[in-house]
Amino acid sequence: MADVKWMPGSIFDNIDKFANSLGYQNAAVAIELAMMPWKSPEERDAFIAGITGDDVKGGTEKNYIKQNF
Amino acid sequence: MASGGANGGPQYNPANVSGTGGAGQSGNYTGFAYGENSALNNSRVAGNAAVASVAATGGTSSNPAPYGDNNMPPLGTLLDPTTKPSEPISAGVDFGRGPGSEVLPKGFQNNTRIDENAKVALQYLPDLAIAARSADAPDSFKRFVNYLIDNSQGVNPNG
Repeated sequence: MADVKWMPGSIFDNIDKFANSLGYQNAAVAIELAMMPWKSPEERDAFIAGITGDDVKGGTEKNYIKQNF
Repeated sequence: MASGGANGGPQYNPANVSGTGGAGQSGNYTGFAYGENSALNNSRVAGNAAVASVAATGGTSSNPAPYGDNNMPPLGTLLDPTTKPSEPISAGVDFGRGPGSEVLPKGFQNNTRIDENAKVALQYLPDLAIAARSADAPDSFKRFVNYLIDNSQGVNPNG
């Protein structure tokens, strides 16, 4: 794993969003949910908002600006 | 015709396993602790007799499917619409809307999250740590990885 592409909807992005939205004490559940085949980041975020009743927490879009841009 | 060789019968199929754990000839339970085999066998005989008596009186004749008359809805998937629209989807867990885990039956209240988190940390930490070192990894992700590192200290990988 030489270079991690931090893209919306990637497994690491999913883990970031689920862990920070559900709470670190729910790390195991967060990682399991992050591994589900979400159709899009929007579907994932809607699911998180549905179960937490709150906004999605975690990295913001500025984190996705890659080098060479 | 040669005799005494393999004939390809069902005894050669490795998938043919006796449900009773033994040779499968008598139907009797074997392999349990001393005294438990006979108790289990007696229980089985009594149970079979009870079922046979119900069947003989037509108790199941109108509904041949076992458990066919219960009112349980079919199991859905995680993303199916809720079957309890008046109840928040997070009812019974300690985040989100609705009551927390205090409303669950006693048997469901064991907090196994600490152990589960530690196992997950051991399993995924190497990859997560590499991802956290990425130049564009969000601080929130790094904090989460640090949390897993802190909680993986001194954990037995064999559970």
